[in-house]
Amino acid sequence: MDQVLSMLFNGLSSSSIILLTSLGLAITFGLMRVINMAHGEFLMIGAYTTYCVQNFFKAYLPNVFDLYYFAAIAAAFAITFAFGCVLEKLVISRLYGREIDSLLATWGISLILQQAARSIFGSQGVFVTSPSFLSGGITLGGNTYSFNRLFILLVVAFCLLLVWFIQYQSNFGRQMRAVMQNRPMAQCMGINSRRVDCITFGIGSGLAGIAGCSVALLGSIDSTIGQSYIVNSFMAVVLGGVGKLLGTVFGSGIIGFFSILFENFTSSSIAKAIVLLIVIIFLQKKPQGLFVVRSRSLDE
Amino acid sequence: MEQRSTVLKINKIGVNFDGFQALTDVDIKVKRNTIHFFIGPNGAGKTTLLDIICAKTKPTSGKVYYYPDSNHEICLTGMREYKIVGAGIGRKFQVPSVFVNLTVGENMELSLRGNKDIRGAIFHRMTQEEKDSIDAVLDRVGLLDKKDFKAGSLAHGQKQWLEIGMQLLQKPKIIMLDEPAAGMGKPETFKTGEILKDIKKECTIIVVEHDMDFVKQVADTVTVLHEGKVLMEGTVTECLADPTVQAVYLGRGGERNA
Amino acid sequence: MNFIKKHGQNVCFAVIVLVLALMPLLLTAGVIKSTMVIFLGKCICFAIVAIGLDLIWGYTGILSLGHGLFFALGAYGMGMYLKLQATNGNITDFMKTGGLTELPRIWQAFEPLPMALVLLVLIPALLAGIIGFFIFRNRVKGVYFSIISQALTWAAYSIFIAMSPYTNGNVGITEIDPIVGSIRGAKHIGNLYLLFYAALAIMILIYAVAYFLVKSKFGRLLIAIRDGENRTYFSGYCVSDYKNFIYVLSAIIAAIAGALFVNFNGSITPSQMTISYSITMIIWVAVGGRGTLIGAVIGAFVINLCEYNLSSGAFVDIWQYIIGAIFCITILFFKGGIVGIVTEQLPALLHRRKENS
Repeated sequence: MDQVLSMLFNGLSSSSIILLTSLGLAITFGLMRVINMAHGEFLMIGAYTTYCVQNFFKAYLPNVFDLYYFAAIAAAFAITFAFGCVLEKLVISRLYGREIDSLLATWGISLILQQAARSIFGSQGVFVTSPSFLSGGITLGGNTYSFNRLFILLVVAFCLLLVWFIQYQSNFGRQMRAVMQNRPMAQCMGINSRRVDCITFGIGSGLAGIAGCSVALLGSIDSTIGQSYIVNSFMAVVLGGVGKLLGTVFGSGIIGFFSILFENFTSSSIAKAIVLLIVIIFLQKKPQGLFVVRSRSLDE
Repeated sequence: MEQRSTVLKINKIGVNFDGFQALTDVDIKVKRNTIHFFIGPNGAGKTTLLDIICAKTKPTSGKVYYYPDSNHEICLTGMREYKIVGAGIGRKFQVPSVFVNLTVGENMELSLRGNKDIRGAIFHRMTQEEKDSIDAVLDRVGLLDKKDFKAGSLAHGQKQWLEIGMQLLQKPKIIMLDEPAAGMGKPETFKTGEILKDIKKECTIIVVEHDMDFVKQVADTVTVLHEGKVLMEGTVTECLADPTVQAVYLGRGGERNA
Repeated sequence: MNFIKKHGQNVCFAVIVLVLALMPLLLTAGVIKSTMVIFLGKCICFAIVAIGLDLIWGYTGILSLGHGLFFALGAYGMGMYLKLQATNGNITDFMKTGGLTELPRIWQAFEPLPMALVLLVLIPALLAGIIGFFIFRNRVKGVYFSIISQALTWAAYSIFIAMSPYTNGNVGITEIDPIVGSIRGAKHIGNLYLLFYAALAIMILIYAVAYFLVKSKFGRLLIAIRDGENRTYFSGYCVSDYKNFIYVLSAIIAAIAGALFVNFNGSITPSQMTISYSITMIIWVAVGGRGTLIGAVIGAFVINLCEYNLSSGAFVDIWQYIIGAIFCITILFFKGGIVGIVTEQLPALLHRRKENS
């Protein structure tokens, strides 16, 4: 029983981290049809931002050190948001409608960002100290649930709510969906589509920053941290079906839980292969992902 | 015997797109060597019906039967689209979809009958006969002088012609044309009509079209669809004279559904 | 002029082959070092992968982010055979460290040369064939396929690392002599020549096969699939079969290149099967010029020569910036790569200038 509970918790935790990275992707990939290979590097930027903010607090504001984490979340979002906007203006805006090219161009960006991280922070991993209120955990029936991971669950829930609110409840969200669904029409209605593109991409990137903030709590930060999360997240978005928030949640859940489940029986590397297999099998039944948006055109 | 005159039997077809009933219990028989029109207001389900015949869309219920000759019956529902094409049913799509990076001649080459497997594609070289047939069809649709031009450089109307030419070259038993006259001027439309009349000796033609002059020019049979159901079937004159048809399609009702 | 237009890419390829063929002579003359020849040998292998990648990506429009895997599978296959040559068919040190007491079955299969040669092609081909069958059958395409292929590479990589008693994990298979015998040192220069010309011959052969394919109707079908997959289905072609065929073919080409590469490199590590290495291969094709065979060859040579000369000494950090920027700029502004610049953008520019003056 304990083992099952612990597995469930691990599954939930791992799903939540995948979901956190996928949320940003779901926006850039799902809504804008842009495959941002540098998404993982935005996550890395978020993680390094957390590290910098932590160092800043250590040096100048040791009294309120614990609060650094909240400052870090805000800073990570702001910085990656800005990076995202710049990237959108410089690169992405020239590549709308060329999905595969957007993937490749952003890969070039990701190479540059990775090297920049190595130049600035070195190739050795760095660590952040968790705020004191996050150290330790609750022990329940023989299992320890670390506060770090519980906290990440909260962050994910918050982000999910935020995205849902922006996308479906806010005025900007309506503009955003209008532009993504029918660009010329939205422009005719007086929506500044270029601005919407830019901010939408910024939000997607900002979410990666928050994800980076969260994963910084879990282990060492180095220039390749983004790569280790990105593959699962892409799979989650593909599995969930592009363009649907609910799909991303399900996709992340399936990948997260299955990874943990199979890791228990086999090894983590075999688990990866099995999860990939499961995704391929899923796609046999639902080639467009679990949640589909239909289209009538023959070849887009 | 029914098979002798019928080439295509659409039997109780129903389609449901995520709750939207696009077609309900559609029964249509298409006669051999005729030009059969599907007309109806927007959203009547005409294109969906073509999609079902050529397996782009799966029907929720019902089946489509095809009679290549009087002794054979093929159930098209459940077949993959390239097999349906192989069985002799070709389709031209509403939006011209030619291969823009290939020349007109190369586009035609891909439409030749036979050698559609990988080995054929690698090792088969065009025979003189095949080259001649391409030239003949290109001449007929007026694109012979464009043979070495990239298809992407053609004007909209010329792309339509090229696509019709590709269908002609395939020599299918049934040709389905989705709005062939769209983007063509009156003289071109008329010319299309004359070509269709000419080729119906060898095949059956199913057309979806809005241009009523074109319908009057060439149609043998007209099926009027409305909100996913067959409203009536008959000759052009019969259909146009029918008060219900006038109400939904030509009168105010048509505008409401547009 | 017309001749150049029509056969430009073959002429260009012939020039490259000729220059390469002269290299061993330059070595004998003492103009270049043997390391340079070995390096060019590796470049030949890269050019071979690039040709295969160009077939699937440049012509067919399927972006595989996993060709590093097939390259590495071929390389490991050859590496296993060569390692067993070195140990006389005995168990290797890393297997002992990993707790194995006798040579594993899978290694035994690679001991006879014919068997090894067959397997090193067959395994990647089967893997690509099975994955491709299931993916292409269901119209999983575009970036979806790229993401799946990426995940495939990722999973395979972690399995290779985890199975370290069989694969020597991160370190890979090292200290192996080429199939022709050692190529290091002045004494073995004959072996080096033999290997180099063999590689060159294989590159010519692969180029010829690819050229034959793209000039046939098959090549036009690949372009048709790239431009309008559904339209090709409705022209009566089973597109999924074609896609699977080209996927398997390019996997085989990658595996052959990998097997050759091991001979020059003397070792094979899992870093060659990472996603990032796979994308590096894409960079070669993109920079050289996708959709033209010669572009792939040029790209592989140009990028690797640049890397060879720049990534040592002071430039080692800067290289990543350069390659990232080159790639990004190529995709943004020079879709046709180097070949595109020479054949389209430059003439257009000259033409405009002539009109202005």
